[in-house]
Amino acid sequence: MAIADRIGSSLAAVPDKLADEGWRRRFLRNVFVPWLFIMPLLLIHIFVVAIPAVQGIYLSLTDWTGIRPGNFIGLENYYQLFFEDETFGKALFNNIQWMAFFLTVPFILALFGATMLSQIKRGGMVYRSILFIPYVLASVVTTTIWKNLLNPRKGIGAALADLGIEGFDVAFLGRPDSALLSIAFIDNWHFWGFLMILFLAAMQAIPPVLYDAAKIDGANRWQEFRHVTMPGIRPILLFMFMMVAIWSFLAFDYIWLLTQGGPGGASEVIATQLYKNAFLRFEAGYGAAQGVVISIFAGFIIMIFVMLRRRGWDI
Amino acid sequence: MKRFKLILSIVVLLLALSSVGAQDVTTVTMWFGESAFAQCLSDILTEGFNAIDPGVQLEIVPQADTWNTTRTAVVGGGGPDIVRTPGPSFVYEMAQAGLILPLDSFADDLGWRDTFVGWALDLGAVDGQVYSLADEFETLIMYYNKTLFEANGWTPPETTEELIALAEEVEAAGIIPFSHGNADWRPTNEWFVGEFMTQIAGPDNVYKALSGEIPWTDESLVEAVETLDMMMQRGWFGGGIDLYFTNTFDTNLATLGSGEAAMNIEGTWRFSNINDYFGEAANNNNEWDWVTVPSKTGADLFTIGMGNTSSINASTPHPQAAAAFLDYYFSPAVQTQLLGSCGKAPAPLHYAEDALDGLDPRVGKAFGDFFAAAADNRYGYTTWTFWPPKSDVYIYEEIERVWLGEISVDDYLSGLDELFGEELMAGDIPPIPPR
Repeated sequence: MAIADRIGSSLAAVPDKLADEGWRRRFLRNVFVPWLFIMPLLLIHIFVVAIPAVQGIYLSLTDWTGIRPGNFIGLENYYQLFFEDETFGKALFNNIQWMAFFLTVPFILALFGATMLSQIKRGGMVYRSILFIPYVLASVVTTTIWKNLLNPRKGIGAALADLGIEGFDVAFLGRPDSALLSIAFIDNWHFWGFLMILFLAAMQAIPPVLYDAAKIDGANRWQEFRHVTMPGIRPILLFMFMMVAIWSFLAFDYIWLLTQGGPGGASEVIATQLYKNAFLRFEAGYGAAQGVVISIFAGFIIMIFVMLRRRGWDI
Repeated sequence: MKRFKLILSIVVLLLALSSVGAQDVTTVTMWFGESAFAQCLSDILTEGFNAIDPGVQLEIVPQADTWNTTRTAVVGGGGPDIVRTPGPSFVYEMAQAGLILPLDSFADDLGWRDTFVGWALDLGAVDGQVYSLADEFETLIMYYNKTLFEANGWTPPETTEELIALAEEVEAAGIIPFSHGNADWRPTNEWFVGEFMTQIAGPDNVYKALSGEIPWTDESLVEAVETLDMMMQRGWFGGGIDLYFTNTFDTNLATLGSGEAAMNIEGTWRFSNINDYFGEAANNNNEWDWVTVPSKTGADLFTIGMGNTSSINASTPHPQAAAAFLDYYFSPAVQTQLLGSCGKAPAPLHYAEDALDGLDPRVGKAFGDFFAAAADNRYGYTTWTFWPPKSDVYIYEEIERVWLGEISVDDYLSGLDELFGEELMAGDIPPIPPR
């Protein structure tokens, strides 16, 4: 082959080679490097979340005591949970009541509080801070405070009774008809400020011109709230609906610290039952089955929201 | 370059020295809680044991939730050399899983069979081998406000009948008969169930029920739970059922100390802080004393309980050193020192007659009488030590439903009988000292 031919064929190969290198560089930059950056997080997630989750599902199919290795027993734990364990239904009902409470009371309070605070031009930060402080308190601190405040011998009720105002020196946490509601009240005392701050932030992102336009159209305060504020905060509102619904099935710390599910199981929820089964009754496999069921409920709630999103809801 | 060589030489020397040190000293690890009480025990044990042999040192690590942390670590193949559990049923699980070592050879070599009282080593037996040593020998007694009793001319009751009559009298005087409540610790309920079973049905019947010889629905046991329920329904515990569920330990002791309440059935562990609620410390002029919980027959009976057990981790690299520590810890001298300095309930050992001399006479008498009763077959059984785990949880959770009128005493005991039967069949019953 003549030299000129050889040079010619080499030159012809150059664009291919360049294209090859370009593709490789693009691959490295667009695919490999991002994965490399996310790899530490991914590995942690795999080892700390994914593998234990799969293990949890497997353990729910065993009679594991939490100490001794378990034997595979198929769906026996699930059968027991849904068809034999009467207390599970009661706990599930309490979780549903808990969810109903938290999907209404804190949302109403937070919307009201955020709307009021959004009107304050000076000193608003002080109110926000005061209302947000309970959220940063540890649950053990909050429950200790409220256990004392609600104590019928030395709490608010007793103080009011000393002043001649009777009827509040009641053992709210000691009565089956008020225990769960009292715990929800205490948990909400710490929680609603957080919700309010989220709503307030969302409200402040609504362009003021929309309110101006509404005013020009003759809208009153309620109409402004309904037709401007609510659509403006709808994504965060619905997102928090979803999160609160999921959190309702995970409720544990306040109940455990205040009543441990008592009196007589009146404030028992699935998570407190799970704890007792896994750590006190040596039925960790059964507890794992309850954990899987909680996850299924959470998955079901997420599915509802995914479906709504597909139907065009702004979530 | 010279400086580099000098630094390198120092580093090499330090490494060499540290490895020599590490080889020479064996460290025995133990996990305790984070309370002031745990700190008191830790200080005394570390100082005392580490002075004996510089080659074997004790390291105590405080943990927030000692048992759950220990269990997780030991199941994962780690954890401390000394494994402490809350009771025999936990030991049973760990021994079955091969997570703790059998102690028989140590018991023989170190003379533990003579150190411990007769039945105590048997409590740690699983399939004929000793896996744990019983610690914190505790019982329930009835504390009372002595000053209040003297002012009203009341005398401490000896029988259940006298107890009921006295409670009526106390109630009539506008005083709460028993300063009880479970707001801080829901299993408080089981103290009363177990105690009433022993004191009213009698320890023999409880033993038979625990052995599966009689059902839990036996008449004597029904009578015991019915008596307890009657007292609760009359509002004698803490001033009423709903108040019982909200009374904290602090409230219970404060009302006893102030004289708003007259009596309190509680454990010997309460000796550690009962003085905080009486006399100068509580700004009152009252005094406390105690008697055995009145029984149906009038006999002085004590229920036996174990607050803790100690075992050796199967994964420890130095079991001999761990056994040496256990030998030190479970010695009468160390146990009485811990009782006197920290208020720790002593292990069930043979003690010299003068071992309790330096204590508050009331405390000394309580443990003296308790040891004597245990040696004299006048003992009953606490639920948290001798009942299997599921039945134990059932006892303190479901009794609330009896008190709230949701189920009858018969239903409660039938449920216990069924559950206990399952655990008995599965062989999950902790060892029970024979009568």
